[in-house]
Amino acid sequence: MLATTEGERPILIVRDAWLLDLGRRPYREVWEWQKSLVDRRADDRIPDGLILVEHEPIATLGRRGKREDVLDPNLEIVEVERGGEATYHGPGQLVGYPILKLPDRLEVKQLVTDLEEVLIRTCRDFGIEATREGPERGVWVGRKKIASIGLAVRRSVTFHGFALNVTTDLREFLKIRPCGHDGGIMTSMAESLGRKFDLEDVKASVIAHFQGVFGFTLRRVDVSELLRERPADPKRHRP
Amino acid sequence: MRYTKDHEWAKLEGKRVRVGITDHAQTELTDVVYVELPAVGKSVKHGEPIGTVESVKAVSEIFAPASGTVVEVNKTLVNQPELVNKDPYGSGWMVVLEASDPKEVSSLMDPAAYRHHIGE
Repeated sequence: MLATTEGERPILIVRDAWLLDLGRRPYREVWEWQKSLVDRRADDRIPDGLILVEHEPIATLGRRGKREDVLDPNLEIVEVERGGEATYHGPGQLVGYPILKLPDRLEVKQLVTDLEEVLIRTCRDFGIEATREGPERGVWVGRKKIASIGLAVRRSVTFHGFALNVTTDLREFLKIRPCGHDGGIMTSMAESLGRKFDLEDVKASVIAHFQGVFGFTLRRVDVSELLRERPADPKRHRP
Repeated sequence: MRYTKDHEWAKLEGKRVRVGITDHAQTELTDVVYVELPAVGKSVKHGEPIGTVESVKAVSEIFAPASGTVVEVNKTLVNQPELVNKDPYGSGWMVVLEASDPKEVSSLMDPAAYRHHIGE
């Protein structure tokens, strides 16, 4: 959060940022959008922003991910540039991709801490006591992991992000070894409280805390608004 | 030794430049768990990404501090990325470039300027 002082009075600077609330969308399509938005953010053609989305079932492998950590041959796999190992995305999971320009590459550690804070506060809103205390970064309820984090930074702009299990079918995690663990390590908000959740309620809480922790005012946009102009660099789509 | 704003060090060894990340960077990033390095022979431009480092679940880029050709990479880091934390200016080096213009390196920050950059 940014704060400055004018005379004796502390002033909170609230910055404008966009929110792309995509509903349910396939992983690969949103991955392509992320990469386009990273370039546009790096070129200062758009401000910072946040993508929120729910994906169709898919396994993704971070830079250290191993194909043998995906146990079910029927699960589609994508190898991506984020940190971390194998994870699963699917219905009932709220996924967030912050597209933020970092003034300094070393701020990435603080960003992970801030994202954990957003998710811990969200869990607290629903009566779930979550912490950072687990074998790796992420958000934990007891010994189980409720949210995973995996980021990448390109041209000083962040992408990829977090995945919070709201009503995720936890049996799906048994098809992979999430971050090299047994799939049984994962939990969800629904499992933690033994009740149903509406993803939209959780989304509203994540949006509120993202604004609070990062000092943003989020304005809803659609993807065409962010990608309206032609890409500046025609080489962008070359492999 | 010279430094970049992205917290890399560059050390001239004749026409060659040895590159790594600074002690301040490894302290801030904490445990480096993965390093990806370029192929030997690759030609790179000043400021271009030449590899990545991963720590705290985040992958970020390493940039070329000068234009030139990659002549050596530290393959030991593939299996022992923790050397970047243990010995950032020694066995944790990442890449050696044959610089096309070694003056590019001399124009980077000197130790005093880098200390100022990181607020020391």
